[in-house]
Amino acid sequence: MKFNQVIFSAFFSAFFATTTVASDNLSKLQNMQRTDATFTKISQEGERADALKDILQFINLPSGFEISLYAVVPDARSMAMAPQGTVLFVGTRKDKVWSVVDRDRNRIADEVKDFAPSITFDIPNGPCFSPDGFLYVAERNRVLVFPAAEFFFESPDIAVGEVVSQGNLIPEEEESFNHSARVCDIGPDGKLYISLGQPHNVQPVDKLELYDRIGIGGIIRMNTDGSDREVYTHGVRNSVGQDFNPVTGELWWTDNQVDGMGDDIPPGELNRQTVAGQHFGFPWTNSRVEIPMYKEVPRPEGITFVEPQLELTAHAADLGMRFYHDDSYPERYHGGIFWAQHGSWNRTTPVGARVMFTALDADGNAVGAEVFADGWLNEATGEYRGRPMDIEFLPDGSMLISDDFAGAIWRIAYSPANQ
Amino acid sequence: MKLMYLLGGLMLAGYLEVGAADLTTGRLVAGMCQTCHGINGFAPIPIAPHIGGEPQSYIKNQLMAYKNSERDHEMMTIIATSLSIQQIEDVAAWYASHTATARLPSEVSEADAPSACISCHGVEGISLVEDAPNLAGEVNIYLATQLKAFRSGKRQHEIMTDIAAELSDDEIRDIANWYANTLLKIERPQ
Repeated sequence: MKFNQVIFSAFFSAFFATTTVASDNLSKLQNMQRTDATFTKISQEGERADALKDILQFINLPSGFEISLYAVVPDARSMAMAPQGTVLFVGTRKDKVWSVVDRDRNRIADEVKDFAPSITFDIPNGPCFSPDGFLYVAERNRVLVFPAAEFFFESPDIAVGEVVSQGNLIPEEEESFNHSARVCDIGPDGKLYISLGQPHNVQPVDKLELYDRIGIGGIIRMNTDGSDREVYTHGVRNSVGQDFNPVTGELWWTDNQVDGMGDDIPPGELNRQTVAGQHFGFPWTNSRVEIPMYKEVPRPEGITFVEPQLELTAHAADLGMRFYHDDSYPERYHGGIFWAQHGSWNRTTPVGARVMFTALDADGNAVGAEVFADGWLNEATGEYRGRPMDIEFLPDGSMLISDDFAGAIWRIAYSPANQ
Repeated sequence: MKLMYLLGGLMLAGYLEVGAADLTTGRLVAGMCQTCHGINGFAPIPIAPHIGGEPQSYIKNQLMAYKNSERDHEMMTIIATSLSIQQIEDVAAWYASHTATARLPSEVSEADAPSACISCHGVEGISLVEDAPNLAGEVNIYLATQLKAFRSGKRQHEIMTDIAAELSDDEIRDIANWYANTLLKIERPQ
């Protein structure tokens, strides 16, 4: 294993030799040098785990499903399951990516530790895998790649390359802490798709051209070596969830709507993109609601805004989404979309903090949103017990839900015997 | 003379329309803040700072700065604009009524505290002056983002603008890590 790793590192450090050398340990790692980094491990037992298990009694599920605590993972955000199903990688809005392992396959994680502790991460919210096992991590303003992360995560020093070097995803002066949680995916074309939220509530008019050119308030795509970057999606406010329909290869994504227009508008969005370069309306519209600040600003010429597939409860914060392409859930869920509603932050009556589902019809359109799991919001007090953020699936087809409020990953399995 | 007194009295009365801060109301207003900052001011999410036990005038001044568009944030601008000056007084009093204490983790030495910061923010990140926030236990990325905003001019302050102007990215990261590593405790008022 050690020997393999050296060979592997040698290959990849040569492969990535042309990338810009960053500060911190990146250059050391690219030159196969050791760092003195050590792991932070998260205890999976004790008070914290017990407090999380107490939340389970409040969660409502369709008949035949059961929920359990899969792992204690602080600040758990977007998730990526390794292709062989051995390790789950979990991003955060802080400076850690977590690796989560269930060695004995009893569907409860037994080891959670930080991934690549030798690397100084900066809002590494979005991990994603290519089918051949390259782990990409989209940060606030950099994209890293870890070849065969699934096999080499046990070492604090690991082969790494820069797909987009620090400061080149967006101009540095546009960096913010908000709307800076990226998500990524590898498309059916083998390209890397990355969401870039725009950092304002509504961007100032003088930012329009710059943002549209770079893809801020959009989704960009590029080759996995960072070349041929282009804006794939225009007119997004802040998307933190995307997935490709495994049947058609179309990109679907969620979006978060403008604040300050009232409790009940604009509606949340689930979008279906059929062609590169489509425009989804923002900042002129959110769903079909016009944004007042842009009423007098001319719309881009010759472009029809694509309307969302579903208009969702306003301010519920629709985030991570995944198509269901396994088979352990009942047939009505096959090929449909599950997504997490994080929950509102300033709505008079809080809404969200639940898992939603829609089936697709024969034309590949969303049928309608239904609640799949809820109870993370204490409706009596308006306080959150947890806030679902992203959806991923274990190889057995059961669902994992990340929760950055509770600091947990929940698992929902179908086991009709327990009805 | 009489007239001047009268005018002065009227102006004073107008100014004092904002009543004394009320903790009970402040707690209710804090319901709008709790998803991000916690009801006691210990923030459960990394993009928001801990505000429990911060100087009352600091909290009030920041909310007023958002309300008057002197400071801009995609969430805070909306919240602060919707608050009355009385609500700002009350919610600032609520959070300020908490007690924030901090200690250094055992493995660090006080001598390594960032010298440019400690005269206002303290070694442990508990504010020593009315116009400075606590920094203890904030997420390092939050602190670094604020320092970079001062450095770029996005956020302005008569003292912080000059201090941040001199800092490199590495120095900013070191300062942010120092305060992020301190252990913050916030207690409710008795």
